[in-house]
Parts: sequence; structure tokens; C-alpha cells
Amino acid sequence: MLSSRGIEKPRKSLVNYLVLPAIIFVAAITQIPFLMTLILSFIRWNIKRPDLPVEFAGFDNYKFIFTDSKFYQVLLNSLVQAAVALALCTIFGFLLALVFNRAFKGIFIARSLIIIPYFVMESVVGIVWKTLILSPSFGINQVLASFFGMEPVAFFSSRLSLVTIIILIVWQWTPFLFMILLAGLQNLSEDVLESARIDGAYGLKMILYIKIPMIKHYFEVGMMFGLINILKVFGLVFVTTQGGPGVSSANLPYYVYRTAFYDWQMGRSAAIAVVTVAITLIIIQSFFNLIRRKQRGSTI
Amino acid sequence: MKRSLSKRLRANTATILTWVLALVYAFPILYMLITGFKPEEMVAPPSLSFTPTLENYDAVISEDLMLHSFNSVFITIATVILTILLAVPAAYSLVFGRLKSAEGIYYWFITTTLLPAVAVIIPIFLAFNYTGLLDTKLGLVLLYTGAGVPLMIWMVRTFFTDVPYEIIEAADIDGCTRFTSFFRIILPLIKGGIFSTALLVFITTWNEFFFAVNMTYSKSATLPVYLNRFLTQQGYFWAKMSAASTLVVIIPVILGFFTQKTLVKGLTLGAVKG
Repeated sequence: MLSSRGIEKPRKSLVNYLVLPAIIFVAAITQIPFLMTLILSFIRWNIKRPDLPVEFAGFDNYKFIFTDSKFYQVLLNSLVQAAVALALCTIFGFLLALVFNRAFKGIFIARSLIIIPYFVMESVVGIVWKTLILSPSFGINQVLASFFGMEPVAFFSSRLSLVTIIILIVWQWTPFLFMILLAGLQNLSEDVLESARIDGAYGLKMILYIKIPMIKHYFEVGMMFGLINILKVFGLVFVTTQGGPGVSSANLPYYVYRTAFYDWQMGRSAAIAVVTVAITLIIIQSFFNLIRRKQRGSTI
Repeated sequence: MKRSLSKRLRANTATILTWVLALVYAFPILYMLITGFKPEEMVAPPSLSFTPTLENYDAVISEDLMLHSFNSVFITIATVILTILLAVPAAYSLVFGRLKSAEGIYYWFITTTLLPAVAVIIPIFLAFNYTGLLDTKLGLVLLYTGAGVPLMIWMVRTFFTDVPYEIIEAADIDGCTRFTSFFRIILPLIKGGIFSTALLVFITTWNEFFFAVNMTYSKSATLPVYLNRFLTQQGYFWAKMSAASTLVVIIPVILGFFTQKTLVKGLTLGAVKG
């Protein structure tokens, strides 16, 4: 028995404890505050009105948000924003990956140009697009409009502000999907592609029936990571539209922020935060199940 | 001969189109770069004919910018170091330890990355206010490390799993302790992965906006906060704004070029193996 244990790892190893500090630290920063948010969501508290009592409110905060038409608009904005942005990022990312999946002089520089937006901070993305590009008076928007003899597009009107936010998210996150999917295409074995060619798979057929199924895992990982981050977008909204006009371009994270730091309703804001987390978990879990059902045995 | 010529022509056209695509995609950033070198009075209406000047950079590089840069550098480096110290042993433990629930703990770490920052901001704000951590570098370092550790465990675990177990067995037989086999054998094999992940944590920390805006006022504010204030105060000076933005994004963009390969590998390796 002893001899067979020779190369086996001991069960009670000190190595096991190395994970503890990280667990404690991450729990202290993320889980405990979230539990406190959960508690706060049952409390009525306007932080700018110390004369009003801080009191237990039962489900009042939740009742308030679920009867608030603004909340439903923000919820819809968030869902549309995540779904449309993720779909477009994936499509554009894949098309770009197809184009860049070959060797030519200076490919490193050309590829780097595409991925720059992913590494640029949200506040700069917001600032540059809001002023230099989309400004109807002095931006590229105005140049293009006068070139085609039209009025500049009002990107920050209530009709288009959500579209504008989606454009910015797509611009920033397409490079991420592009990097992942390009790696997938470059990992395809030349043998398989060759035998597919012999079987008569060319052009669109090759892409739809050979390439896409073979890099499915890359789609899954890229879209999952993309979805997680698109659901959390905050800085872009903060810098460009402040969620407005009205709440036309506000998403859930921004609405939580606004309720806490503009309306000073701590309890209500906490309730929206709890609902946001619940919705996030449901979306991610459904997406994960969708992947799992199609392909058993894969992990993130 | 004719055929190879048309083939080459096609390849060249494709190359040119690819370049056009890349330039169009990066246009907003390239235009920002150019605008930073324009004299302020030539920014509007947009044009490409101008005499480059450094006056914007001269105006923007101030004591204020230096203070924020110092904060960013300090906070980011401290976060990266603390993250490595916590996450690498944790990932090692999850892969080479004998925890029954290793898989569960790993997924727990990943789920914490789903949590939007707004879901924890109020309690953290109150706690920081109470403990005096508001507007301190330490406060931001703690928050950013909390976000960095799960990300690093996610990536580094993949690299650890990639180390063939035979190598560690061999080291065990040779009488290496766990401690020496980690530093002598495993670490050299995955140090590239750790380094790139550290750069990724560096980039996300450097770019972080939400906590920076809400948890600092002036003393410990980072560059994203500086830029946001710049926009509200001097938003009409587009050339200066472009120069400031360029300075702020240079570091993450350059680091991004170097990390892209490992970033992709760390995220996809686990999935590809199935």
C-alpha cells in the first residue's frame, strides 16, 4: 500500500491551504458587500435627508421598481444592448478573422490596428467618439453629412442614443471576438481542410459546414466572455450620454448608479442592483446551458 | 505565367483591402492621435492639412497629470503584485492539491467576475467612508485585487493544467519537495503565461473607471478620472483632449500588442481540450 502511494499526491497536503487566502480576499471584496446590498435592498434610506428615518421597508423597494415604467425601459435597453451588441461583435469578429487568416507583409501591424480598441479605456472610447467622430457640429459626422448633402445624424437624440451606445460597444468588443476566432481559424489542421476541399467543400460551403463547426469552442468562449463584460458596461454610458435623454440609453448598471448617486435612494438602488445580478445570472446560465446542450462535456 | 500574374494581382488586392479595413477600423484612434498634434484653432472643421505642433502636449503635461499618472502607476503595479501573490498559489493549489471541491471553487471564482461593480458599490462606499479608505490608493488596490484574482486564477489554472503531470512525478521521485519543484520546474514552464496574465490584469486595472470615479476625489484619483474631469472642464479644447487621451492609452495599447497571443491561449486552452 505504501509503495503504491509513492507517486500519488497526499490527500492532506499543505498545498490545499494555498487557495485559502485568495478565497477569503475575494469573498471579502465581492460576496460580503453583495450580501450587504441584499440587506440594504429591504431598507428605506435617503442618504441626503438625515431627517428622514432609516427604516425597514419590507418589499417596498422591489414593489416600487416593478411598478416603475422607467425600470422596464432600462431593463429592455439592457437586454437589447447585450443581445444586439453580442450578435454584431460575433459576426463582425468572425468576418474580420476570415479576412485576416492569411499571411501577408505587415500582418502584425494591420492586425494590431484592429485590436487597439479593446485595450483603450472606456472613457477615452466615449470621449473620442462623442466629440471627434459623432459630434454633429465639428465631428466626422458633419464632414460626411455635408459630403452627401444631408443633415448630420443626431446620434445623441432620444431616438438614437441607445443605438449609439451599441455602436461603441460593438467597436470596442469586436476586436476581442476577432482575436479569439482568428486563433481558432489558425488552429484548424490543414489536413482536414484539404480533405474537405477534395470532397468539394469550397467558399461559403467550406465556411458554414467545416470552419464554423470546427471552431465552435472558440465561439463559445469568446461569446461567453464578451457577454459577461457587455452586461457590465458602465463607463461608455457615463461619459457619452449619462443614460439620457431621459433613460433612453441607460442600462441596468448605470441605472443603479443613478438611483444611488443622483436620487440618493440607497435602498431602492440596492434593490435594482439585486435584480440586475439575478438577471445577469439567469442570462449567463441560460447561455451556458444552451452551449452545454449542444456540446456535452465542454467547459468554459 | 498569365495565371500566376492574375493570382498575384488577386493576392495584392486582398492585401490592400485588408489594410484599408484595418485603417478604417482604427480610424477613431488614429484621428485622435493626429488631432493631438494639431494647433487648437485647426481642429474644427476637420481637415488633414495642418502643421504638426507639440503645443498641446506641452499644455497637457502638467503637475496635475503627473500626479494622476503616478497614482495610476502605483495602484496598478501594487494590484498586479498582490494579485500574483494571491492567485498563483491558489491556482497551483486547485490543480496540484487534493481538494475534493477544487472544481467547485474554481467555478466560484469565475462567477465572481459576473458581479457588476454597481452591485457592491454602496456597502463598499459606506465601509470605505467608515474606515477612512475613501480617496486612498490602498482602497483602490484592494478593490482591484478583488477583481484581478479571479481573472488570474481563470487564466493561470489553464497554464498549470498544461504542465504534464509526469514531470512533477519525476521531480517527486528525485526527492524534490513541493516547494522546490514549484520554483525549479513548474514556474519556469508557465512563467510566460503568468507574465502575460499579469499584463492583462495591468491593462484592466489601468483602464478601470467605475470604482476610480466613485471612490476617489483628488488625492488618489487615477488617469480615467483625470480624463473625465478634463472632458467636463475643457471639453471644447479637442486638440488638448486628444493629446491627453493619447498619453493615457499608450501604455495599455502597447502592452496589449504583446499579450494578445497568451490572452487568447489562456482563455481558450481549457475549452479546446474539452
